[in-house]
Amino acid sequence: MADSCKYKRRLAWLLLFVALALLPLGVNNYVQFVINTMLVYCLAALGFNIVIGYLGQLAFANAAFFGIGAYAAGLAMARLDLAFPLALAVSAIAGGLAGGLVGMPALRVRGYYLAIVTLAFGELMRWFYVHADGITYGAGGFSPPPPTWFGAPLNETGKYYVFLAVLALGVAATQHLLKSRIGRAFVAIRNNEPAAASLGIAVARSKVVAFAWSGLIVGLAGGLYALLNGRISPDTFGLAQMLMHFAIVMIGGLGSLLGSILGAVLLTGAPELLRNFPGLEEIVFSLLLMVVLFFMPRGLGGLIADRIPAVRERLYRE
Amino acid sequence: MLAQLIVSGIAVGCVYALIALGMTILFRSTTVVNFCHGEFFMLGAFAVLVPLQTLGWSYGWCLVFSLGLLFAVGMAVERGLMRPLQSAPHISLAMMTVALSYLFKGISRFFYGREVVALPPLMAGDPVFFGEVVLLPQDMLIMGLVLLVVVAFFVFFQKTEIGKVVEAASQTPRGAFLSGINVPLLRNLMWGVGAAMGALAGILIAPNTLVYPDMGGHMLVRGFAAMTLGGFGSLPGAVVGGIVLGVFENLAGGYLSSALVDITAYLVIIIVLLIRPQGLLGWRRDRG
Amino acid sequence: MLQVENMTVRFAGLSAVSDLSFQVSPGEIFTMMGPNGAGKTTAFNAITGFVRPASGTVSYKGVSLLGRSPDQIAGMGIRRTFQNNGILREMTVLENVLTGLELAIPHTFWRTVAGLPGARRAERRAVAQAREMLARMGIADLAERNAGDLSFGQQRLVEISRALVAGAELIMLDEPAVGLSPSDRHHLAGVLRGLAESGIAVVLVEHVQDLVMAVSDRILVLNYGKCLAEGAPDAVRNNQAVLEAYLGHE
Repeated sequence: MADSCKYKRRLAWLLLFVALALLPLGVNNYVQFVINTMLVYCLAALGFNIVIGYLGQLAFANAAFFGIGAYAAGLAMARLDLAFPLALAVSAIAGGLAGGLVGMPALRVRGYYLAIVTLAFGELMRWFYVHADGITYGAGGFSPPPPTWFGAPLNETGKYYVFLAVLALGVAATQHLLKSRIGRAFVAIRNNEPAAASLGIAVARSKVVAFAWSGLIVGLAGGLYALLNGRISPDTFGLAQMLMHFAIVMIGGLGSLLGSILGAVLLTGAPELLRNFPGLEEIVFSLLLMVVLFFMPRGLGGLIADRIPAVRERLYRE
Repeated sequence: MLAQLIVSGIAVGCVYALIALGMTILFRSTTVVNFCHGEFFMLGAFAVLVPLQTLGWSYGWCLVFSLGLLFAVGMAVERGLMRPLQSAPHISLAMMTVALSYLFKGISRFFYGREVVALPPLMAGDPVFFGEVVLLPQDMLIMGLVLLVVVAFFVFFQKTEIGKVVEAASQTPRGAFLSGINVPLLRNLMWGVGAAMGALAGILIAPNTLVYPDMGGHMLVRGFAAMTLGGFGSLPGAVVGGIVLGVFENLAGGYLSSALVDITAYLVIIIVLLIRPQGLLGWRRDRG
Repeated sequence: MLQVENMTVRFAGLSAVSDLSFQVSPGEIFTMMGPNGAGKTTAFNAITGFVRPASGTVSYKGVSLLGRSPDQIAGMGIRRTFQNNGILREMTVLENVLTGLELAIPHTFWRTVAGLPGARRAERRAVAQAREMLARMGIADLAERNAGDLSFGQQRLVEISRALVAGAELIMLDEPAVGLSPSDRHHLAGVLRGLAESGIAVVLVEHVQDLVMAVSDRILVLNYGKCLAEGAPDAVRNNQAVLEAYLGHE
């Protein structure tokens, strides 16, 4: 790559870094909250994309992983008095384990069956949250203690930096994963499973790994959500949540990291605007989804990648 | 108590069977799992409610209206949204039905908000006693109707010429097309029939469950569970699966815990798909 | 190196392959020929673990291949291509060939996720290897193209490159010359002979006569799953039974 190109790239990243670092100075608390919400959904979409975009499996367990992460972090803080960084670690681990667990039946069950089973799993988890009220505080939900940083409570700005750092870590780790033989294995399995096996790819193991990593990332996003909202209840993690994740990933574009971010930013702002009218959010989202399905099957990310080849995401690093 | 649980289970299971039958018809004609079937169910109930309450029509006419409307909606969905996506990856069709499901839910939520409305039963009256077992007239109507539908289907598919043609067309669409059968029209009609069946199920059970925008979700899962249990794609399987599911739910609720009624369907799905994916009556197919 | 003895493969009661036996030694190019449906691809599938033979044995370097999964067999140093395209459509040509190096890159999950220098270096080495392979096969200019957009012949070359890049010792190619121009075929013949000279065992399924006659050390003709003839190219070409089977065929 020519030196001037590299220099321009480095400059762009630096500017982005500075802009992101200084962002809180220019926004009020409410907007900051919305931005924080966007960050959470960016991470959740990133995780979802691994299984539905890269691996290509129709697994609708994202809301379940999200909820597991949120409950894990929330309960760690509420019942075990863990500080939030540890609680986040717990949510990531819980998500990863759940992902691995779901990944195993995913080996035997394909296509629509997988979609149905994973939806059933999500509903089963919600039932668990409601009925295991000794642990989970039941149907009413609970509010974990607010996160603190060296004794002082974390305000929206503080949360912003934490979320940004976690998102950056998540993106970096996932990029490393996808731009390696592991990411290539996922896509190979999606494209042509027999061919992938003939090259030595351990298909079953790769699938479970994809699910586990997806669960880890989405669980982590759920942990952030617990910090964001201050309230965790079973109702949050049902079909409506699943639609949100699904719409973000579809509109953003399957198999596109940039798409996930765009989709999350675009769609997280919307509920705030549509809040006052019942059903409008669902109508707008579903119409958007249909438009995408008809005209832009590869979503925004795909559209951009077609126009700007430099943005096209590779599955290797040089 | 056992007898009561079983009989009530069969009654509710018949509704599940009706839903599963509708979903199976759609699945066989377009190989799409219809994630918005629960919404046909919900729209059917609303479509009776609206003319009944706001226009003052008689129940009979409301019923006709609802079934006719949902038949039309089914055909419109197939023609306008499913058919253009025929050549797209299969996943897009499923996603379209998901999007539709949310659209319908959003629309009804827009008009009805948080209201939960009661729909009077098709057949009112006092409960009837058969020895120790109690049945509402509505329950008996449901069982009778489902029996009628099942018999009609059997006669249609096994005995009539048209039925056999439809059956053949669903198994090998290309072959059917080459034989001159109008496959697109058939698909279109099948969607109308499937949607209407969903609507009928909604109308039948609405008196029990009350009418509200989210009522479809629960039924969708029960439909999946019935289809999975009976064997995906099998018409008799849908009926058997539905009835067995209804009985399971009631037995679990009665003997183990009332909390289990809600999740019996989910557990059935998970267990069946992991242990015997072809269900009770299905054969082993590599459906993906 | 590869030893197949009395292999029979059945599908729904029919014998796709009956009592097939042959051997392939290192440095040898062994070609299976026969009309469509003769069972050649089924034999490939049985050897590489995609289908289970009803009876018989298959062994590689003395170790039995039966009951092993395709990825395990690949791990033993065997690579194959597919008759109807084993290309990975949504990946670029370079990424396709890189996938061929799956087993050559160390499997280090956490070090990869952390982006540690060791993992990065291994990745970069693999990319260099893949580029070199593309150059050797004469398709370096296709590196960034989407594999699904290429012509059938170009996809063939990509798939072959992918099979060859990891330095397998037994390479099985299913109709590699289909869709190739005469000059590409010539190039392929040269590549195959080079492989044989470096001690790799090559098994081909092929129809294209000039390629078969040009490179094969031994030929086996299959018809209806049974071995019709086996031997040196000239002997097989003049074999009466073979001529009869091919009467009317190309």
